[in-house]
Amino acid sequence: MKDEATYRRLFRTALLIRLVEERIIALYPSDRIQSPVHLSIGQEAVAVGVCDGLRPDDLVFATYRSHGFYIAKGGRLDAMFAELYGRTDGISGGKAGSMHLTAPQVGLMGSSAVVASTIPHAVGAALSFKRRGSDRIAVTVFGDGATEEGVYHESLNFAALMEVPVLFLCEDNGLAVHSHRPVRQAYRLAEHAAAFGIGSRRLEEGWDMLAVREATLQAAAKVRAGAPFVLEIATSRYKEHVGVGEDFHFGYRTSASVDAFKRRDPLIVDAALAKALEPELEREIDAAVAFAEASPAPGRPELLTDII
Amino acid sequence: MNVALAQSASQGTRVLSYAGALLETMDAALARHTNVFIMGQGVDDFKGIFGSTTGLAEKHGAKRVFDVPLMEEGMTGIAIGAALAGDYPITTHIRADFSFLAMNQILNLAAKYRYMFGGLMSCPMLIRIVVGRSWGQGAQHSQSPQATFAHFPGLTVVMPSSSQAILDMYPAIIARHPGPVISIEHRLLYNLDFTVSDTGKHVPLGSYVAREGTDVTVVATSVMVLEALRAAQYVHDKAGVSAEIIDLNSISHPDWDLVAASVRRTGRLVVADTSWLEYGVAAEVCRQLVVRDPRLLKQPPSLLGMAPAPCPTAKSLEDIYYPSQHETVDAILTQVTGAGHGIPLPVERSMTEGYKRFRGPF
Ligand SMILES: Cc1ncc(C[n+]2csc(CCOP(=O)(O)OP(=O)(O)O)c2C)c(N)n1
Ligand SMILES: [Mg+2]
Repeated sequence: MKDEATYRRLFRTALLIRLVEERIIALYPSDRIQSPVHLSIGQEAVAVGVCDGLRPDDLVFATYRSHGFYIAKGGRLDAMFAELYGRTDGISGGKAGSMHLTAPQVGLMGSSAVVASTIPHAVGAALSFKRRGSDRIAVTVFGDGATEEGVYHESLNFAALMEVPVLFLCEDNGLAVHSHRPVRQAYRLAEHAAAFGIGSRRLEEGWDMLAVREATLQAAAKVRAGAPFVLEIATSRYKEHVGVGEDFHFGYRTSASVDAFKRRDPLIVDAALAKALEPELEREIDAAVAFAEASPAPGRPELLTDII
Repeated sequence: MNVALAQSASQGTRVLSYAGALLETMDAALARHTNVFIMGQGVDDFKGIFGSTTGLAEKHGAKRVFDVPLMEEGMTGIAIGAALAGDYPITTHIRADFSFLAMNQILNLAAKYRYMFGGLMSCPMLIRIVVGRSWGQGAQHSQSPQATFAHFPGLTVVMPSSSQAILDMYPAIIARHPGPVISIEHRLLYNLDFTVSDTGKHVPLGSYVAREGTDVTVVATSVMVLEALRAAQYVHDKAGVSAEIIDLNSISHPDWDLVAASVRRTGRLVVADTSWLEYGVAAEVCRQLVVRDPRLLKQPPSLLGMAPAPCPTAKSLEDIYYPSQHETVDAILTQVTGAGHGIPLPVERSMTEGYKRFRGPF
């Protein structure tokens, strides 16, 4: 029996993320957003389910594909659009852009375009929490490809040794750019984690926001008790790796591979709820875009500030 | 051996080794700031990073001072994350060469976080790395990457050349500096004793005049400051030449006005650096002077650094790989009295002859 209020809350945020990214797609040909964009369309349920399963004061460390996590963690939409536009009222005054969203006031602690590079940051924050006897946890969000990097292995080892409250959250969309997972990995994530004595779980229903939320609540409880945990969530990237188009015509994957997922995607399936919420969300986005449009571009005075 | 310029220890001064100064500042930082912790390979073992962290784990507890697995990148990323969460991490690398495994976190993350996020994020932290030299350190235990690090905006790079520099700079860095600092410590300095003053003029986070002079400006870094000071004493005694020594000290943010003003007076320049000349500190000193005024120098400068090769292990090769006392003295004399100055050079090939106490292994 699903909790209707929670479902609607998560659905609303997931839909907001999708509509925001669809607006980005619509705006992109105008060149108002001059920066690479890595869309999370198809993966929204992970961001909203995870963030809803955390406490507001838990910290999340993210990647270049983080529009979803930024919004789900509670980042301001107007500042986000201004950031994408490269304007002074952007989150980071235009110095960050789409790949480096951050919102420390709501616990999104930066995002990096170097694959896997924020994984140890979450471990470090978790170490700080433990040192202070705090019951907050740190979450690192990364893709399946990131687990191939050495620092992932270093981070698991340290987290296990020091028993720090960190949740390793893998968004498995099965792809690293255009490479499929089986040609990249000789290991299985769960067995690998087990080698460090770290518990793990793989959730196949990555479209199901409530299931993601539930899995996060369970994992976070273990982590809060002092045991690092690997939560892997199967998901689907509908769009091309970077950019606003589709990429099925390049032949490296078929649309069938995402169709199965789309058939269960609540944002598609629950069209009635989506339709009901859309006008209000679109107005919110309109206002954010107008805010960005009105914001001035940074210039000389900003070029050399905040370096050291 | 007391290599400080300082005369005999007088009132308000005491003798303190470089390692001792490091240990004091680490201890004081842990005592003063509850958010400070030290992690690195071997920080809590009996050797304690050449005596610079010995006993601190026992005194401050394993939560404040702890060993880490062999994970240079991971450790540095963990330090960044801890800094983002409000701690002040101090990390160590017993050789600079090993910090190269942490380059991703240092250059792509730590150096960028403040700027890339428009001032919203910052990761104040201290990365201590040790440069090796002598006793056959070879190609991978001898590199001195100040130019590499200082090339990247967002990093603050210092090279303390004395116990005083550590006593003065480290507490200020740890208490107040808003971003990541890389301190490049020189292994050959660790065992040297210096006269320090707890009340005297403080070594700034910029550059300073280590010896005043009028005939030639010698800009030096780290252990080369000591080589230059010795050479300056020698040329003074033998030839009445007055060399001004500037300890660059801060590699990323030197006091270029101080350097330029000195060169404006002397018109002559020697740069003595611990690393390669190519695209290095010496090149940057020349750039800074030339862009200010190409007529500052009366003649081409003399530039001293490591030979343009990886560091060889054999002592006979290592001896000619680093600039020697001969070359330092020769460079100063050549600047002032011209090539073929005919003044006899010192017997000691280099100060490494004086570092007799360093018999390895690391
Ligand atoms: C260290 C590094 N190597 C390569 C790249 C280029 N690159 C950008 S995204 C990406 C794929 C990462 O895949 P995954 O971790 O699964 O994340 P996804 O893009 O699927 O969300 C690669 C290889 C990079 N940005 N950083
Ligand atoms: Mg992927």
